[in-house]
Parts: sequence; structure tokens; C-alpha cells
Amino acid sequence: MKSYIWLQTVDGSIQQVEQEIAMFCPMICHEVIQKGMGSSKNYAISLPQQVNPAMLSLILDYCRFHQVPGRSNKERKSFDEKFIRMDTKRLCELTSAADSLQLKPLVDLTSRALARIIEGKAPEEIREIFHLPDDLTEEEKLEPLKNATDDPRIRLLNRLYAKKRKELKEREKLKNVEVDEELVDDRSVDDLLSFINGDDGDSKGIKTSKSKKKNRRRKDLLKSTSAHEATKNHNKESNGLNSVCRSAEVGQIPPGVGATTNLQDVEDDIFPNKNEFDDGDIDDEIDPTLKEKIDREVEDFARRLNSDWPERMQEILSLGQEKKPVHLSLNGKGS
Amino acid sequence: MRTDITNILPEECISYILSLTSPTDVCRSKLVSPVFRSAADSDTIWGKFLPSDCYDIISNASSSSSSKLLTSSMSKTQLYFHLCKNPIIIDNGTMSFGIDKATGKKCYMLGARRLSIAWANTPRYWRWKRVPESRFSEVAELKEVWWLDVKGTIETKILSPNTTYVAYLVYKFSSSRYGFEKKPVDLHVELGESDAGRTFRIFLDPSANIPQFSREREDGWMEVKLGEFFNEHGDDGKATCSLREVDNYTLKKGLIIEGIDIRPKDSR
Repeated sequence: MKSYIWLQTVDGSIQQVEQEIAMFCPMICHEVIQKGMGSSKNYAISLPQQVNPAMLSLILDYCRFHQVPGRSNKERKSFDEKFIRMDTKRLCELTSAADSLQLKPLVDLTSRALARIIEGKAPEEIREIFHLPDDLTEEEKLEPLKNATDDPRIRLLNRLYAKKRKELKEREKLKNVEVDEELVDDRSVDDLLSFINGDDGDSKGIKTSKSKKKNRRRKDLLKSTSAHEATKNHNKESNGLNSVCRSAEVGQIPPGVGATTNLQDVEDDIFPNKNEFDDGDIDDEIDPTLKEKIDREVEDFARRLNSDWPERMQEILSLGQEKKPVHLSLNGKGS
Repeated sequence: MRTDITNILPEECISYILSLTSPTDVCRSKLVSPVFRSAADSDTIWGKFLPSDCYDIISNASSSSSSKLLTSSMSKTQLYFHLCKNPIIIDNGTMSFGIDKATGKKCYMLGARRLSIAWANTPRYWRWKRVPESRFSEVAELKEVWWLDVKGTIETKILSPNTTYVAYLVYKFSSSRYGFEKKPVDLHVELGESDAGRTFRIFLDPSANIPQFSREREDGWMEVKLGEFFNEHGDDGKATCSLREVDNYTLKKGLIIEGIDIRPKDSR
């Protein structure tokens, strides 16, 4: 006479399952042996909420096959390969359900399948597959890269990010000072950034003459810094971003005041070897120089947030052991 | 309505899944979402990526090494990233041990004192000195020699299995360098007893228009690839790596040797 174990899933439905199959799951085994549950309908074992009827059915299929002792490794492997052919969402649900029942071999199987899916993919691809929102804050995206090999390019990036973060905070503070309601507190960092990323249009025409001048000066500055490899491809991107930066400042932020104090630090941190600069640049007025630096950082910042990023990150990480020829291509997909 | 998996999978499950990928994948996954970020920092993951005998190796570190004290208080995650960047000195100061960040595989540098350098103990030919930019207490400086023969060996059993390793000579030239632009050197790597290995002949100090095979390392030294070998199970005996110029006609001077660096081949 066959023995059955009674199981209840989170939706309230109860079913009976052959004992040897159900007992393959450690959690059920524990409930039966330690707590004496499952012997009748009234004492059905309440399964964890991750185990809905569909998942239970899959898990029982798995147990039903594997609990038979006589099977060869080849048979088991073949079964497993067919068994995990399901969509990603189900794989995740199954992992969670198997985990809650402590069924380690199945957790391993599904986890490996998910690991193979994740391997080698860029962050947006992973977000796409798992339907994840892009909800890392800009702060988090800018977190210092683990600079495992003391790559000077990574050090520069980290410094730029630190300045960006600081500047974002400054902007937040200064915006709050403004009386203009629509723009003050509601303008999140996200909004500001999508504005920077998206809006190339209007003010472009007006700003071109200044942009050209900035480009040339920027080139001069860039040539003379030791870290020029990391920043050299900015010139193309300047137009839209210059104008955005300017209009953002003019509309809301009193120019000069907050920005000045912030950027004194910027100069010192990012370009520690001031001697390398052309003297001509330093003789200029403070404002344009500072604004130019903000522009450069904003471009850099915006670039970091577009889809180049994962490839570059991978490059940078893989650059760890072997020093590659100097020119790291940062220009990716262009503007 | 799309539900994201972080509502379905607990963080520990995500950590376990990530531990089945690679160090590079895990670092990249930190840019996916806050839950992935948090899951990626788990000791479960980095403990798995550390070489299995990592702690044994550290315990054999030179007792004067401050790394030993530092590493004993670190979490597995911290230890992983620490060893990627800060090789520790082991074996009585003759070797250094580190980890390749992208793969978690073991890397070693054989210090100059551990190499077999012909005539190294004859002061007329070679000098031993301390330099601050070396990780070892001494480097070998060539004053002058005709017979240049530098060789290092490493037991494959201490290396990571199923890995292609590349050996580099880590060196610099001093201001008195001479001879290396006139005569090429032979670079050679062989595995075990029966392998004939491969030899490359290159100019270590090439004049203009001649290919430069050396490149600058991040620690300021130069390196030139001696060759590579595949370590399967670690039972192939020793790998032997050498640089030689033994035609005996050309005087050579001014080569400063830090050691031979042995690390996994860049898989890209």
C-alpha cells in the first residue's frame, strides 16, 4: 500500500503526493519526521509561498525522476538538460521554490542555467532579460571602480566621478536656494541627466562661437596633461552639452559663487601637475576656465551613462594584468 | 505586468548564481541594479574565486611581511581585491604571489635571487643591490658580461590548473646599457622534461625601425614575453623560462633584472 504525503500550496489547494517523491525534498522530509505533519488532509504540510502549484508540479517531476536509484549519470544529465529548458522567469521562480524546499541539486541546476545566461552580458542586456528597471542612482553608478591594478586611467576616472558627485551635490543645494518652484526640489539628478543626454537642440546655434573657442582651449589643456588618454575624445560631444550646461546655470544657479569654490578643488585634484599646462590658459579669466572644466566633466559624465559604459568597463577591468598600447578607445558608438 | 526577478529571487540566490559566473561578470553585474550590487559583494562569491590554497600560501609569507598581518583580518571579498593589487612576498623573500583579477588564478613572480644567472656571484660581472621600486629586497644588475644566461623555473603544481600561463622577464636598463642593440637575445620557455619548447630571438634594446617587443609595466619596470605554456593538472613538473645570449662575442652591460613574472594569459 502506497503512502502519501499531503501538501498545501500557498493558494490553499491541497494535494497528495507519493511519499518517496515528496521526501526527496529536505524541507518536506523535516516536516514529516520532526513534526509529524503531512499524514492526512487536515495536517497537510504548508509549503513556502514560493512554491505555487505550477512550481510544485515541476519540482515533483524532478523528484519523481531523480529519486529512482537505478538511473545512470548519463540518464540523469540528459533529463536535467531537457528539464531546464524553460523561460528565464520560470527558471528564477523555480530556483526560488527549490531553494525554499532546500532541494540543493535542483537549486544548483537552475542556478547554473541562470549563470550561463548572465555570463558575458552587459548590464543593460541583463536588465532586459530579467525585466529590471534601471534604478541605480547616479551616485551608485559613479561609485569608484575597484582599481585593482592601479591603472592611472582608472584613478583619473575615480577622481572625475568624485568631482561629479560633489558637483551634483552643489547643484542640488543651489537649486534649493532658488525661488523658482517648478525647478527647485523636483529636478532630480535623473532629470538633469536625461536633459543632458537628450536635449541637443535649441541653444546650439547661439553657442557655437564660444564652443569653438572652448574646443581649441580644451585641446591645449588636454595635450598637456598626463591623463590625456582618458579624456581626449571629448571634443565632438561638446556642442549640445555646452549649451545645456549653460542654460542650466543661467536659469537657476547664480554663476560663480558655488561653482568657484567647488572647482578650485577640481583643478588641484584632477590635474595635480599644473606645471604641465600652457601658461596661456592659466592667465585667462576664472569664469570661462571653470565653466570649461564643468563642461568637460559633464560630457565625461554623460558619456559614462550611455551604453558604451559596460564595454569600457570590461576593457578597463581586463586591462588589469597586461598593459596595452596607450590609446584606450573611449569613443565607442560616437555621439 | 512584468515583474522583475528581484521580487522573485532572494539576494542569496542571486549571490549563488553570480558565484557560478566569473570575477569579471560579477564586477559588471554591479551596474545592473541595487540588488545585484549588493549581491555582488558577498563573501560567498569572492571566497569561491580565491584560489583554494590561498590561506596556506599566505601563512607561508615571510614573517617580516606586513601583508600577513593585514590579510589575516580581511573578509574574503577584501582579500581577493587586495591580492589582485598587492602581491605578497613568500618563500623567504624570493617569490611573490598574487591573483589575476579577471579570473582569480594564481600569479607568481620569481625574484632575481631565485633565478639561475650565470656569473651572478662574480662581482666583476654582476652586482646585487636594493632598489626602492622593486618588490624584492635585491635586484641583479649586469655590469658586464659576454655570457648572458638567465633562467627561472617554477613547479606547475603550484599554479592554477587548466590555465595558459605566460612568462615575462621583468627588467630595466641602466644608463650604461650596451650590447643589447647589437645582438638579439634568445627567449625560451619549455614545460617539463620532454618538451623542447619554443625559442624567440629578439632585440631587447632595438634601434629605430626594429620592432620593440618589450613594454612598460604599471609598476614602472619593463617586461618582455619569454614564452607561454599550458598547465593542465599541475603534474608536468617544472616550467623553465630563460633569456640567453651566449655567442660570446658581444659584451653586454646595464641590464637590471627584477625577476620573472608568471601569470595567466589575457583571454581577450
